[in-house]
Amino acid sequence: MAFEETRRVPQTTFGRTKRRVSKLLNDHIRITLLGPALVSLLLIFVYPVAVLVWSSFHRTLGFVTEFDPTYNYEKMLTDPTFWSAVEKTLTYSFGSFFFSMAAGLVIALALNRVVRKRLRDTYTTLILLSWAVPLSIVGVTWRWMFNGQLGVVNQLLVDLGILSSGYSWLADPLTAMALIVVADSWSRIPFAAIVMLAGLQSIPQEMYDAAKVDGATSFQTFWHVTVPYLRPSFFVAGLINWMFAFRAFAIPFSTTGGGPAGATEVLAIYIHRFGIELFDFGFASAVSMFLVAVTLIIASIYVTTILEQISEIAE
Amino acid sequence: MSGARIGIESYRRRQGFWNAVESPFVVHLVLFLAVFFVTAPLVWELLTSFKTNQAVYDLTYFPRNPTLESYHIALVERGFWRAIVNSIIISTASTVAVMALGTPAGYVFSRYRFPFDNLVFTFVLFTRLFPPIGLVVPYYRIMGLAGLLNTRVGIVVANVYLWLPLVVYIMRNFFITIPKELDEAARVDGCTKLQAFRHVVFPVVLPGFAAGTILTFLYSWREFLFAFTVSTDLSSMTIPVATYLFVGDTSIQWASMAAAAVVATIPSALVVFFFQRYIVVGLTGGLKR
Repeated sequence: MAFEETRRVPQTTFGRTKRRVSKLLNDHIRITLLGPALVSLLLIFVYPVAVLVWSSFHRTLGFVTEFDPTYNYEKMLTDPTFWSAVEKTLTYSFGSFFFSMAAGLVIALALNRVVRKRLRDTYTTLILLSWAVPLSIVGVTWRWMFNGQLGVVNQLLVDLGILSSGYSWLADPLTAMALIVVADSWSRIPFAAIVMLAGLQSIPQEMYDAAKVDGATSFQTFWHVTVPYLRPSFFVAGLINWMFAFRAFAIPFSTTGGGPAGATEVLAIYIHRFGIELFDFGFASAVSMFLVAVTLIIASIYVTTILEQISEIAE
Repeated sequence: MSGARIGIESYRRRQGFWNAVESPFVVHLVLFLAVFFVTAPLVWELLTSFKTNQAVYDLTYFPRNPTLESYHIALVERGFWRAIVNSIIISTASTVAVMALGTPAGYVFSRYRFPFDNLVFTFVLFTRLFPPIGLVVPYYRIMGLAGLLNTRVGIVVANVYLWLPLVVYIMRNFFITIPKELDEAARVDGCTKLQAFRHVVFPVVLPGFAAGTILTFLYSWREFLFAFTVSTDLSSMTIPVATYLFVGDTSIQWASMAAAAVVATIPSALVVFFFQRYIVVGLTGGLKR
């Protein structure tokens, strides 16, 4: 480690240059280590964001653009299909949030009760599988399982005598939406469960012992010990799951593609349709700006109010 | 002693319902159902992949004569082996780039003060909060102008944007857990600042580095939005995109699609299987405040 400096460096031009460079890097250690990451983020984040803002104020006319700052936003706010996409996005993100958080909570509480570590790890590994599956694969798999003629779900329901013939789940707006919500939750449950399990495991055993000495019932222990300690993990996992579902593209796109007749066209698909398929960069950028603004506003309100309250309780 | 025991007995009787809820039977039932819910679609995909297309139309549950025909169709005839090669190259390159940029950056945020340091760190977190879907359209345009559409480089660049902030955050949280005295001891021993980072602190943080590497690889492997937008031909397409494009066909060969889906899932499943601990550490370590 240290010998490089004490070892005699040959007084060649190369040796001297090397030492000079090394001294320069060490004298500006922050720039040396942080600079590359920041420059990368400037190039691959700030520049595209600037392009996004710029595009949103321009009207796209084929391959040329015209500066017209309100055109896209006006078109967006007066377009009923946009508001329909907003509504679908809210249904989708909150549906996924409730389902994944509820299932994740139950799984985390159950996992926390498994005493043998090997067994708990086995369960965790199996449950993590759905998190690891590429989202587009989740979509095509669910699409295939709920296929009207050949899907295994219909097949099972018919064989069990519940349905008389196959049902086209993806052709009905209501079941199509329910389906993508479940598919989305399916891939988010493990994350919620793992984060909340970590929260549960950080509760000191003394708290439980104390509750026991005080003669608290299981429910009282759960309410007064488990819940307060679990709250931060619950809210952090919840925010992340909601935020990712709000901007979700891969699962709705690969399961229903926005259909039937736009019934599952969430904002991400809407943006993709206008921006990539119809080449209306300006309008797609304006919708993107809306999505970004909503995410950031809700996330910052959430972080400042809820997480601050939690730290007050914890202190 | 006996008094205490009676106390515990009556305490137990009071619980009734809650005792039942927390019984090992209920706990394992819940977990069994959860595991079933998670694995059933995957098992079904696996079973289908060993069928012929005819068996799919005959609605058989299990493959009667298991065959690898679907794998042959998907990988060889449809040329998806190229998508697998692309996925491996893209995920590896993205991971190397993200870890090489993110690890030192996380170290600086854990050790050094500089003007506007909190603001810079907030900016890094902000890029993570920013919805990637918002950047798809600008990326598409920029990549088009730079001639990077339908190239692997284009997808790697998108992956660096997506996962670099996450890795900076995770690595910073790992470096914070290591006492600064370690750096100082190395400096006293004659290390330069760079040497202290490279030879003394970095080895200690290797488990965190492993967690970051595994997470980045998995996330890059399954990335769909940018890979799908940037690339539409087999020379640069990744396997999740190639599998999705099966669905766009007029008549879907479900068995071959299932085979492609299995191939796309296997690497992630193996990583989860062997590195479960690191993934859990990475997912929860990235959340510690």
